[in-house]
Amino acid sequence: MATKVKEPAAPAAAPKSAANGRPNSENPLISDDKLKQIYSTMVKCRLLEERARTLKKQARFKGNYYAAVGQEAVAVGAGIDLRPEDTVAPSHRDFILNFIKGVPLEIMFSQLYGRVTSPDKGRSSPAHCGYAPLNIITPASTIAAQLNIGTGVALANQMKKNDNVVVALSGEGSTSLGFWHEALNFAGVRNLPIVYICQNNLWAESVSVKLQTRVDDISLKATGYGFPGITVDGNDAVAMYRVAQEAIARARSGGGPTLIEAKTYRWYGHSEIDPAKYRSAEEVEEWKAKDPNAAMERYLTGKKLLSADWKQQIIDSFNKELDAAVEYAEKQPQAQPIECLDHLYSFDVRSRELDRKTCTPQY
Amino acid sequence: MSVSYLDAINAALNEEMRRDPSVFIIGEDVGVMGGAFGVTKGLYEEFGPDRVIDSPLAEGIIVSSSIGAAMAGMRPVPEIQFVDFITPAMDAITQQAAKLRYRSAGAQTCPLTLRVCYGGGTGGGMYHSQTNTTWFAHEPGLIVVAPATPTDAKGMLKASIRQDDPVIYFEHKKLYRLPAIKEDVPESADFLSDLFHCAVRRPGKDATIVTYGFMLQPSLQAAEKIAEETGASIEVIDLRVLNPLDHETILNSIAKTGRLCIVQEDHRTLGIGSEIAATVAELAFDCLDAPILRVAAPDVPAIPAAEPLEQFYMPDLPKIMTAMRQLLQY
Repeated sequence: MATKVKEPAAPAAAPKSAANGRPNSENPLISDDKLKQIYSTMVKCRLLEERARTLKKQARFKGNYYAAVGQEAVAVGAGIDLRPEDTVAPSHRDFILNFIKGVPLEIMFSQLYGRVTSPDKGRSSPAHCGYAPLNIITPASTIAAQLNIGTGVALANQMKKNDNVVVALSGEGSTSLGFWHEALNFAGVRNLPIVYICQNNLWAESVSVKLQTRVDDISLKATGYGFPGITVDGNDAVAMYRVAQEAIARARSGGGPTLIEAKTYRWYGHSEIDPAKYRSAEEVEEWKAKDPNAAMERYLTGKKLLSADWKQQIIDSFNKELDAAVEYAEKQPQAQPIECLDHLYSFDVRSRELDRKTCTPQY
Repeated sequence: MSVSYLDAINAALNEEMRRDPSVFIIGEDVGVMGGAFGVTKGLYEEFGPDRVIDSPLAEGIIVSSSIGAAMAGMRPVPEIQFVDFITPAMDAITQQAAKLRYRSAGAQTCPLTLRVCYGGGTGGGMYHSQTNTTWFAHEPGLIVVAPATPTDAKGMLKASIRQDDPVIYFEHKKLYRLPAIKEDVPESADFLSDLFHCAVRRPGKDATIVTYGFMLQPSLQAAEKIAEETGASIEVIDLRVLNPLDHETILNSIAKTGRLCIVQEDHRTLGIGSEIAATVAELAFDCLDAPILRVAAPDVPAIPAAEPLEQFYMPDLPKIMTAMRQLLQY
């Protein structure tokens, strides 16, 4: 069932009537407004991540960061039209999904800084942003675990007979784990409303995809689970958007799961402490030449939807938003030490830990 | 009416599923077959395949899909058919279920009750007999319970399902149909047992046995026999809850008796007895009149199948008697 969409899609301009920018069954094409929204979101995602990297390099926050720079088309194409009640199951490299789904920047930077205003109140690592109000699962570092939990959310949605979907993201390395198999197999058996997006960026930390799997296209694996798998050029935002929206619509209407393999590339190391010397400079340059943001820019320019002024306006105004978010986060306090004992159970354990009374003979 | 441990569990599941449509069961063979031991018998017929889910043969997804479903508002009651097979679910249990509330600072939680069948003494061999309670009791964020009576089996399961935390519910396969423990069990649909305290099953003043699960049976027998033999009165505490431990009940007993023996089916090293002994040594040192003793399985990988080997492995009445005589004579 695996098929390929490798050539950049060339959608015709949508009629003006698609004012809300959402494709629908009457009008399956992508509106100009939507194309511009996709592009501007990609630009913002990159600015956001480059800012996070700079702050990390300046040691303004502790811990590590896992940038998805170079992979923006995948995250934006998959996440941009999700509803608040849809669930995102992110990996460690999906920080920008929070922004795409609408998490305020102040909260995201609080997460980077580990401040009390972060969703996890300083517990997890900087890049592990989850956000319950918008149904973004708080990530763990154990690879692929989010797919399995996301699959459970999809099971609950199916049981409740709502039309919410789950988008579960991971990298190609995750496909080697038993968890990955268990999740996709179960989703196939139960026909769950979930879309698995495998961001195949060729490297799981230092290990080549050639050492993860013998198949050229990971989407092939969907055949073994009995649902559609599709490989898409993950650096082509329009193709990614179309493929993701089709899969999401199918899941929403009871058509079951889809595996999307998005072939893409992370420009930087696994994390900010990884110089990524295991990759050749030529390979990196080759992929940087396939920059998804630049490709989208060319596409919009060709359609006369992009002006230099508009682009600069996006950058300038978003940089101001980032400045404000950083300033906000830096002013927030860290948690009190004693809060280490909180949020363990639905009941308080502070006194149990702190008031250990010695006992004297009663006989 | 006298109710077995197994029927008490079945009744608890039935009552909670009737009460709350978000409660569902998922596990291997739990549906059409009614469970490997018949614990979920009749539930598939009453509640259907969407609420009594025969899962693929994959413990990881049994637990992790329950975590996700719980996060999304359901009340899953997943089952692991034998605790020996729980290892594929260890990431789900220890890294996800135990840590989800903590890592999201309370914003995302997974109230689920993982029923786990455990225990030896049935000739089941190495992979149908284990008692891995320590693995889970060691994990903050999990509530770990091990009911020893039909009343607790019912009341604690119902309370676990209603508890807003992940609970690992250990049920001993030898207790399922044990005639000796059948008892009247409260029939009220709102009957719930406490999830946080030990129970003193037999009061005493000369020494304390702390135990749980099936081991309550030989422990009570030992207390009876010691009383007959020596007149000494032994207090027997049923832990009921392995995490978080109820220190107070244990310490109060030691303050009264001054002597402690811990009986556990799990093997010795770093078992629940180690934690109890350490706590008593730290907080009740002045109360102790004798070294703390443990009756535990030996530190071998699992329970061997052949009868003499299994007998050597399992703590039992003679072993507890030997320890208690030693404890009282010190």
